[in-house]
Amino acid sequence: MPQAESSPVLELRDVWLRIPVNTREVRTLKKTLIRSVTGGALRKTSSGTEIDALRGITCKIHHGERVALIGHNGAGKSTFLRLISGIYLATSGFFRAACPVFPMIQKSFITSAELSGLQAVKGHYLLIHGHLRGFSDYVQEIVEFSELGDYIHLPMKGYSEGMSARLLFALLTSGNHDCLAMDEGFGTGDARFFERAKKRLEEFIQSAGTLILASHSDELLRQFCRRGLVFSQGQIIYDGPLKESLSYYHEHCC
Amino acid sequence: MSTAAKAIRFAWTSRRAWWFTATARTRDRFARTTLGSFWLGLSNLLSIGVLAAVYGTVFKVKDFNTYVVYLGTGLVIWNTIAAAVQSGPTLFRSNAGNLKNTNIHPIFYTLEEWSFQTQTFLQSFGLVLLFLMIFQPSLPLHLLGAGLLPIVNLLLFIYWFPLLLCLLGAHFEDLFQLVPIVLQLMFLLSPILYKKEALGALGWTADFNPLFRVLSNLRHALIEGQIKLGEALLLLLLNIIGIWLSVWLLERQRRHLPFLV
Repeated sequence: MPQAESSPVLELRDVWLRIPVNTREVRTLKKTLIRSVTGGALRKTSSGTEIDALRGITCKIHHGERVALIGHNGAGKSTFLRLISGIYLATSGFFRAACPVFPMIQKSFITSAELSGLQAVKGHYLLIHGHLRGFSDYVQEIVEFSELGDYIHLPMKGYSEGMSARLLFALLTSGNHDCLAMDEGFGTGDARFFERAKKRLEEFIQSAGTLILASHSDELLRQFCRRGLVFSQGQIIYDGPLKESLSYYHEHCC
Repeated sequence: MSTAAKAIRFAWTSRRAWWFTATARTRDRFARTTLGSFWLGLSNLLSIGVLAAVYGTVFKVKDFNTYVVYLGTGLVIWNTIAAAVQSGPTLFRSNAGNLKNTNIHPIFYTLEEWSFQTQTFLQSFGLVLLFLMIFQPSLPLHLLGAGLLPIVNLLLFIYWFPLLLCLLGAHFEDLFQLVPIVLQLMFLLSPILYKKEALGALGWTADFNPLFRVLSNLRHALIEGQIKLGEALLLLLLNIIGIWLSVWLLERQRRHLPFLV
């Protein structure tokens, strides 16, 4: 195997992520309640209360791998996705990403809802490409897929939830990414659109070099993943082939 | 410091995106109005007209033409500084969704806001300048001859100073309540509606007022057609330091931002 293929795309060694708890409400809550919400462990520091959202994460993910993140709500899956995609920065430990990781957890546009869908598409395109070459073909494809028609010219604040979700879905699945960090909670709009979205999503995921997918659906994970990381209270408690990982999760965590 | 350089590099590569989203905001703001972005200048002109009439009478000014230009240029610059400063403390909170769910560097949102304020300034300043030419026709020449460096200083200042407030505002929510009050006091304490000499023994307060120093350097250049070069260069140096420092602090605070908004 060539060296380029054998070196990991993502490498984490004893990575910790401590999240400061800043809100006044949380300071009045019992520790047990917070623990049940976050899945992490509370600790007091000189600067206030912190939650250990990720604890001593060590793993390597190689190019082309399809990795499932398995665990209860609050186990650390979404936090892990945010960490590897650069939204969260590790508090301690070693983390290296050999390529940009695209987070597919976005639920809003980079532009204000006061602006039109077309402006949102343009802003997104400029952010990705830095220029407008090829934009007209791009926007045509987005409008066709999202079925927005002339609504694309109207302010997004007037869109229904389904229209917004369709546009966002069309935007985020419009390119190829070396490494994709995806949360199953990612919306696709109404039921009729779901079938079309499913096909596009499958193609999109297949085109990704490396996939890290967080989901509670065994079926979805079996469809796309080969390896599983089981999370519990911010730790990876099992790392292995998907079948064994799911069995471990159902035996030990359910 | 290399992290600040990385942020600046991202700022450069994404320049078309943040300038575009700011432009779209500016257009959208007046999309339903008949006069469009003309309102930006018109609102300033209305303030200048009313304040000049009232305070010109209160202060019993002898040369009304000179006073209108003095007040008008001061007011349009002050409004720009005040709007930029006021937007600072809540900037990250209003972009909370994207800070938590996308890996776009937070400098993007600060630059988008700066572009929005810059575009607003350029439009309103242009119209006010046209109006003030009635009283002092030499203003455009003064602008080209002596006003460019002070304008650059103003534009640099309205980036880094609000950014510092952004970072503080993310930690201390009370800042949002405090900023408008302090701005109001600074406006009254700054020689904008009146001459510095009117402050008497309190004249030193204007010297130590950074917002006023930026304003007065540009206003002097516009009215007199001469640049206070030493002061302008000092401001430029302070602005460069301010930008580097604020971006460096942004980079340091970046890890905390998703949890603070």
